[in-house]
Amino acid sequence: MGNPAYLARDAKLPYCRGCGHALVVRQLSQALEGLRLPPHSVVLTTDIGCVGLADSLFPYLHTVHTTHGRSTAMAIGMALAGAVLPDSGLKPIVMIGDGGAMIGLLHLVHAAQLNVDITVLFHNNFLFGMTGGQHSAFTPLEWITSTTPEGNVIPPLDLLQLLQTAHAGFLARQFATDSSLDAVIADAIAFPGFSLVEILETCTGYGALRNKTTGNVLREVASRQGYLIGRMEAAQQRTTFGALYRQELQSRPARKARPQAPELAVKADLADPLHIVIAGTAGERVQSSAALLCSAALSVGLHSTQKNDNPVTQGTGFSLSEICLSPRLIEYTGMESVDVVIGVSQEGWNELQANGTLAKSTPKTLVLLDAELEITPPTGRVLRQPFRREATPKRAALAAIAFWLGMGPVVPKAAWDAVVGSLPVDRREDVLTALRVGQNLASQGGTYAA
Amino acid sequence: MVAEGALAAGCRFFAGYPITPASEIYEVMMRELVTRGGLALSAPDEISSLCYCVGASLRGLKAMTATSGPGWALMLETVQYALMTETPVVIALVQRLGPSTGGATQGAQGDIFLAEFSTSGGYTIPVFAPSNAAECYELTQQAFNWSERLRCPVVLLTDKEVGMTTEVVEEAALAKVAPVERTGIGAKAPFAAYEIESAESVPGFAPVGGPVKVTITGSAHDRWGRLRKVSPEVVEMLVHLQRKIEAHAAEMAFVRPDLDPEASSLLVSYGITARAAREAVGVLRKEGFPISFLQVQTLFPVPVEALRRAAAGIRTVFVAEENLTGQYRTVLAPFLMGTRLLGINKVGSMISPGEIVRAIRRAGGTIPRGDWPCTHSLDESIHPDRKAGV
Repeated sequence: MGNPAYLARDAKLPYCRGCGHALVVRQLSQALEGLRLPPHSVVLTTDIGCVGLADSLFPYLHTVHTTHGRSTAMAIGMALAGAVLPDSGLKPIVMIGDGGAMIGLLHLVHAAQLNVDITVLFHNNFLFGMTGGQHSAFTPLEWITSTTPEGNVIPPLDLLQLLQTAHAGFLARQFATDSSLDAVIADAIAFPGFSLVEILETCTGYGALRNKTTGNVLREVASRQGYLIGRMEAAQQRTTFGALYRQELQSRPARKARPQAPELAVKADLADPLHIVIAGTAGERVQSSAALLCSAALSVGLHSTQKNDNPVTQGTGFSLSEICLSPRLIEYTGMESVDVVIGVSQEGWNELQANGTLAKSTPKTLVLLDAELEITPPTGRVLRQPFRREATPKRAALAAIAFWLGMGPVVPKAAWDAVVGSLPVDRREDVLTALRVGQNLASQGGTYAA
Repeated sequence: MVAEGALAAGCRFFAGYPITPASEIYEVMMRELVTRGGLALSAPDEISSLCYCVGASLRGLKAMTATSGPGWALMLETVQYALMTETPVVIALVQRLGPSTGGATQGAQGDIFLAEFSTSGGYTIPVFAPSNAAECYELTQQAFNWSERLRCPVVLLTDKEVGMTTEVVEEAALAKVAPVERTGIGAKAPFAAYEIESAESVPGFAPVGGPVKVTITGSAHDRWGRLRKVSPEVVEMLVHLQRKIEAHAAEMAFVRPDLDPEASSLLVSYGITARAAREAVGVLRKEGFPISFLQVQTLFPVPVEALRRAAAGIRTVFVAEENLTGQYRTVLAPFLMGTRLLGINKVGSMISPGEIVRAIRRAGGTIPRGDWPCTHSLDESIHPDRKAGV
């Protein structure tokens, strides 16, 4: 491709007379021409505001006109897609104003953090131009806008400093009138990673209406805010997120499926759904033990559902598992009544009272309690066994499950063997110990007919 | 299974933000997508999540995010952008108890209105509502396929009870749906990004970054994507956004009917409550009470034909759903004029089969056909926990 005119030669620029936006689009066009980028390797992503009128001026570039503040976020998505596309050379250029930078600040911060290969042209004219000249987060102190008629009293953000702390690789601040602006924009576009050029300009429609903007005023305003003019490049270049991801993509092996207990010839002896609740304390393997029960049930042809509950803090307080085992597909996953309640800690039991589970127990409900608990269940057939003492608190839930199953034929012992065989070697001994304790207790004291 | 369905459908991009009860989908996609040639990443908020997905989709990747009510609320701006720019994207919305932060670990079916009626202009957003893990797998694939075919955002609506319950699925029985790819533009260049060939047609897609210039905008535009004030062409574009979806409504109307030709009552449900409803229907039929059942999987566009077929000759229609005001019942009401329309509603926990059975018995649904006046009421909502009933 030769040297395309990026900005349509006959383009009638839609900006107010003297508006800095007109200077920026010309400088951008010159920068692109200097870089000789094929037009379809650039996407102009424009924000809401007068800055968003640029799309139609660049008839050869891809253009995406977005919602307010989201131009950066859409550009991030487009750039990231490049990590997994064969044609990864697309360069998003974001055109955003100070209003868009304010509402979309998080996107700018994340773009810098990720180091995505996009270039942001931040048109800072200190106010919302398209909507009537309202104050923005970048309005200088004492500046008069339609919403700060007595002068702005809120100090403006310094976006460059802010993005520097977010690890941005290439930052620059220029005036729209700078003759070197095209070179700075070109360098920003050529920079491999996140780059942002803040362009200070005047909104002739509203800014100049209420504030003195002639002569060197813009420079004085910038100086009063402590704005550095020029480039702020990071000492070290970082790899872009896309490149890091591509490396990851090549090095990550396909995940192996977790081994499952094989389906056995022996089947469970269960005619109707069975609802079991296991209640204990967080960190004592209540939920993982319940999952083992479901695996064992699966190996002997049962359907199961498992729901877990714990306080929002997760690592403390109660831990519950609600299980349904059924010879058929399970439709309703809740319990209208509970068949087996296993309580291995006081905290767990308290929660069963609080959440209404105990109200669903009937005289037929089997209640298996740890012998240490001084609890009187409201109803049911109660059995107390020293699960915590004999098996340790961390194995108490599994020992109690094994105890219960040891008393009846629901899930035969062969199913446990299959489950243990499917576990990682370093977990097997622990699980076997818990199962042995439960089965031994059952053979000594269980008097429950299924 | 939502994540597995997405992978089976060819999802290549996922951006997520943690929120109970949708975080599992996010975690599985973070783990799996990288091993299947896709990209998954953590976004700094839900607004960013969906924007990243839309950006990736504009480049041609099938994209998805997952969230719950509070996150969905933040995404609405970008849902509308995807609708207006005709960008395919799938949002898995795993409902929890609302309003506001609500109950993060409690299920609910309270986001029906929020999911559907959230665009300026009131456009139809396809919403699929699976009731179990196997349906999650199948309907997520459908969500992707319809999103790609129609070039629009599609919602896969589940809840905590569907999304966070571990259950057995038979791998061999899982429905594999052939993935649909976006229609390209062939050799057309220059091409109009928003061409309208007919009411049911969907414009061909060319990716941003490809060899053909693409013009995208969320503002009112002509077929070339040029920003325009209202003109006959702009109005035609706005109408077509809706027409292209309506034109395919019958094809994407997924339901699971279980009809009894002798029935004078029909029970309608969806999502998690459909499972209790199916059990309740079994109980009622055992009692000798003829009742039809319709599980709606495509909530929107409303599967009107299937509904009319199920409601033919029916006097009383019950809609069971886990929300306070009968959101989907309100949606169905215009299609069920002439029937007595009753809601079975509850919040705070799942509606049980027993509660549905009792509510239907209490409403006098066992009275034979012909004995009820043809009244239509939205007020006769039955809350199972209330003693009074209707």
